[in-house]
Amino acid sequence: MDELLFLRQEVAPELLAGVWMSIKLIVPSAIFGFFIGIVSGVFRVYGHPVLKRLAGLYVLFFRGFPLLVQLYLWYFGLPRIGIYLSPFAAAVIGFSLCSGAYHSEYIRGALLSVKKGQLLAAYSLGFSKIRAVFSILLPQAMRRALPGNGNEFIYLIKYSSLAYMVTCIELTGKGSILANFYFKYLEIFAIVGAIYLVMVSIATWGLNYLEDRIAIPGFGRPKYN
Amino acid sequence: MLQGFIVISENLPYILGGIWVTLTVVVGALIMGLSLGLVLSVAQVYGSRVVRRTVGVYVWFFRGIPLLVLLFLFYFGILANLQIELSPFIVSIIVLGLISSAYQSQIIRGAILSLPEGQLKAARSIGMSDSKAIVFVILPQAIRLSIPGWTNEYTIILKDSAVTYALGVTEILARSRHVAERTYQHFWIYILAGCIFLLLTYVGTKLFQILEEKVRTPGYTQ
Amino acid sequence: MADQTPVLRIQNIKKSYGDNKVLKGVSLELNRGGIKVVIGPSGGGKSTLLHCINFLVGLDEGRIYLNGKEIIHNRKRELTAYRQKVGMIFQDFNLFDHLNALHNVLIGPVRVKKLPKSEARERAVAELERVGLRDHMTKYPAELSGGQKQRVSIARALAMDPEVMLLDEPTSALDPELIGEVHEVIRDLASGGMTMLLVTHEVGFASSLADEIFFMEDGKIVEQGPPQKILFNAECDRTREFCAKIGRLHNNSS
Repeated sequence: MDELLFLRQEVAPELLAGVWMSIKLIVPSAIFGFFIGIVSGVFRVYGHPVLKRLAGLYVLFFRGFPLLVQLYLWYFGLPRIGIYLSPFAAAVIGFSLCSGAYHSEYIRGALLSVKKGQLLAAYSLGFSKIRAVFSILLPQAMRRALPGNGNEFIYLIKYSSLAYMVTCIELTGKGSILANFYFKYLEIFAIVGAIYLVMVSIATWGLNYLEDRIAIPGFGRPKYN
Repeated sequence: MLQGFIVISENLPYILGGIWVTLTVVVGALIMGLSLGLVLSVAQVYGSRVVRRTVGVYVWFFRGIPLLVLLFLFYFGILANLQIELSPFIVSIIVLGLISSAYQSQIIRGAILSLPEGQLKAARSIGMSDSKAIVFVILPQAIRLSIPGWTNEYTIILKDSAVTYALGVTEILARSRHVAERTYQHFWIYILAGCIFLLLTYVGTKLFQILEEKVRTPGYTQ
Repeated sequence: MADQTPVLRIQNIKKSYGDNKVLKGVSLELNRGGIKVVIGPSGGGKSTLLHCINFLVGLDEGRIYLNGKEIIHNRKRELTAYRQKVGMIFQDFNLFDHLNALHNVLIGPVRVKKLPKSEARERAVAELERVGLRDHMTKYPAELSGGQKQRVSIARALAMDPEVMLLDEPTSALDPELIGEVHEVIRDLASGGMTMLLVTHEVGFASSLADEIFFMEDGKIVEQGPPQKILFNAECDRTREFCAKIGRLHNNSS
């Protein structure tokens, strides 16, 4: 009984603050990352050769470097060349750029899978290339890319725990501090793990719902699980 | 900058020594993940309702919790409470292996489910028991189909293995951090560390491609 | 005709998928050396019947006897022993895609019958020779033509020493020019005295082999009798209609 009271009074408020911080990290990173992914994905398929090249290099490095290395680069590396970032800013930038690179891959693959006739048909109606890409090709590609993008959002929820490693104290960080302070590692990390499970499950459910909503016949949709 | 490169090159052998540690963790986790994943996938496809559900919960658990939290939970929480003393190195392999088994089980399960139903029927029609059919007919095909998935899994675990630094495993990132703290060359050293991972990804992917080509059934495309 | 016990006796098999009653009580008997052919419209339950006989699809009701002995299909040993005695040829071959022709034939004798490798190999080569594929035995399924695949699958079944063979539209997935080679192999089996139950749409081929034809529709055997009677002189209207239609098709195509 004491245990429960202790958890309610001492631990819960702190962890909730951690959850809030995690959400403040995840949501902007997801939005920026998705946006970066769409732009660089389009560049890689329909861009000017130079842009294609640049977008390709971006994806190569940001998918190839471990996320933790990237975070260290932003947080510990940049100050050495005169750029100072707060832990929060370093984490959001790191997450956005890394997940943008993954999104980019899914968008690219989906764009390439759209039948060639679609672009020709758009041209034949007098669409410009940019218009055709944004109003004909992307809407089709997005439906195919969404399972991949969705998985990426779910990964982001889990990888947000790495922000703690650059001293941005979110859920994992709070848990770690509490566990060290009260010397209750098992209980507190179990609770922290359970909170992540809940967040991931809610996101999975939401994405499945979203996909059902935008589904149209002829575009098969694999389920997340 | 020139001075930076001199400092880095002096410390290069120490950082590169981390490759061996990283690869041991990664390969250990992949092998553990494969053996467990095989069992889990077969259980999830062919098992009873209860078994299937249990595997489902296992997969949900290990795919839903961040690696960092699982490392802390196992190392500081579970193992300490059970008074089992294992090195961070071993715990890292186990935790990465458990996570990987959850992902690999889904890769193999997908491969099993993608095989035509007739394969199992044909095996039964010549009198094979189900367990024989799974071992001699289903898994040899499913494993071949799983190789592209493993390639992916390798690159993910390779990058995730950097997180084991949080427990104090002296892999590539840990050593880089160490050198960076001493030399103040954080920027270039982390770029170097990233490039080492990039190189390992490249080499590993190539090796898997060779493997895939080697075990490919002639004429078979899916 | 020394042995009068039917090799295979099927009694009142019923099977439904949900509300859809696919088999509504089918019974038949196969005597040693007998060749029975099942014809009838698609969706009439012919394939399901064969799959049920091999317990590849669970039956809802009904009994199956091999050499007078009832098969209890939930005894694993009994079931696998039974299946070895009853060879099955599938419409879409179902060769093991990861094994070459030789190993497709070899795997049963080695893994199920536990024959020594060398003996099994000899046997497998002999069976492939019998279906005329000795020269192709190192090829993988994806490298074989449809007709060759079906012949390998026949060799695979033969290598288990079956007493009865169930053939489920063995040529329906084949290009017309490849049908002949498979028919030839089946004819050889027939003249060798193999007991067979054959589902086919090739009425001409069927009538030249069968000693009895069953017309099956809507989950039941509607009519049965010698080929001449069923094909040209059927009592039931539906049978006559079907045979006339399929006969026209047959004449047009040959």
